[in-house]
Amino acid sequence: MTTTRTEDWKAEWQPVIDAVGQDFSSGETVFGADPVERGAIRRYLEPLEFDCALHTDPEAARAAGFDDVTMPYTGVVAWTIPPLWRPGEVLFDSDDRDAQPVQTPINNQDMPLGPRTTGFFGTDIDIDFLRPVVAGERIGRRGNRLLSCAPKETSVGRGAFLKWESDVVTESGEVVARIRIGTYAYVPKNETEASDD
Amino acid sequence: MTDTRTQRYFEDVEAGEELPGVAYPLTVYRLVMAAGANRDFNSIHHNTEYARGTGAKEMYANTSFLLGVWERCVRDWIGPAGTIRGIHGFRMRSFNYVGDTVRVRASVEDTRVEDGAGVVEIAIRCENSSGVSVGPGTVEVTLPRRGEEQA
Repeated sequence: MTTTRTEDWKAEWQPVIDAVGQDFSSGETVFGADPVERGAIRRYLEPLEFDCALHTDPEAARAAGFDDVTMPYTGVVAWTIPPLWRPGEVLFDSDDRDAQPVQTPINNQDMPLGPRTTGFFGTDIDIDFLRPVVAGERIGRRGNRLLSCAPKETSVGRGAFLKWESDVVTESGEVVARIRIGTYAYVPKNETEASDD
Repeated sequence: MTDTRTQRYFEDVEAGEELPGVAYPLTVYRLVMAAGANRDFNSIHHNTEYARGTGAKEMYANTSFLLGVWERCVRDWIGPAGTIRGIHGFRMRSFNYVGDTVRVRASVEDTRVEDGAGVVEIAIRCENSSGVSVGPGTVEVTLPRRGEEQA
């Protein structure tokens, strides 16, 4: 019985495995919520205690050859996250303490294949930077190609390790970075155990 | 911090040189700041009950924050004229839980001249009380060459 159930949960991921190589994007660039702005750069630096004049002092940035302060390179993740809410939408439809937004770009809900999962976190990232992004620019992600899918049970639950590839581009379509992100999408252990009962 | 008054040059660097480490005590306050700043609002990174419900022990630092600690460590050392060309091998080996301290450790792995640019490969990782938690990976940077300054 255990073997059958083990095979069952992994078999649910087969459609995703079969889709490796497919681009799951709409074909359009999905831009981040906002252009890169000085204030948001400052907030990005705060929890990192990141003190660098390139990111905080326009004169120093101009002396270095940029038009304005630059976004930290690793901001290619933050500044390409779409809005969590737009006018006309409902953000939360419950007052439950741990309620999740009705919709959020920070999950795997856009995945049309495979089993429904509620757990999700990033596991690994490789990034190639082609040039710094300057305040005033807006960036987004183009393409979302599935590179791999590996079902695996871990200490937190059953799911699959997924690897995705995208370009980070400006509004003019210039590629400023190439990013490969690994995620683990899973059913938490308590939900798995309830299901097995 | 990145010292803007002096600049490290490619010729100053030797393989094996250690970068100054950086330590981050992980508090709820910092993790909430990080979520607000880098817009990764996954509840697993700022909500104890939710994190435990997903199988984690506690809330833990998010990916963007940990990428940022690598960048800050490297930038402090390369100076404002250095550039970062890539981050590779950034892998979450274990969660960096609130209540722990994450430390960034890095050293020069290799140097080379490539198409006239001074390229440095930096080996880098995060450690917490459980050992290596992120990486080990590499950050590829460029540093100005002294000859370029004279040109």
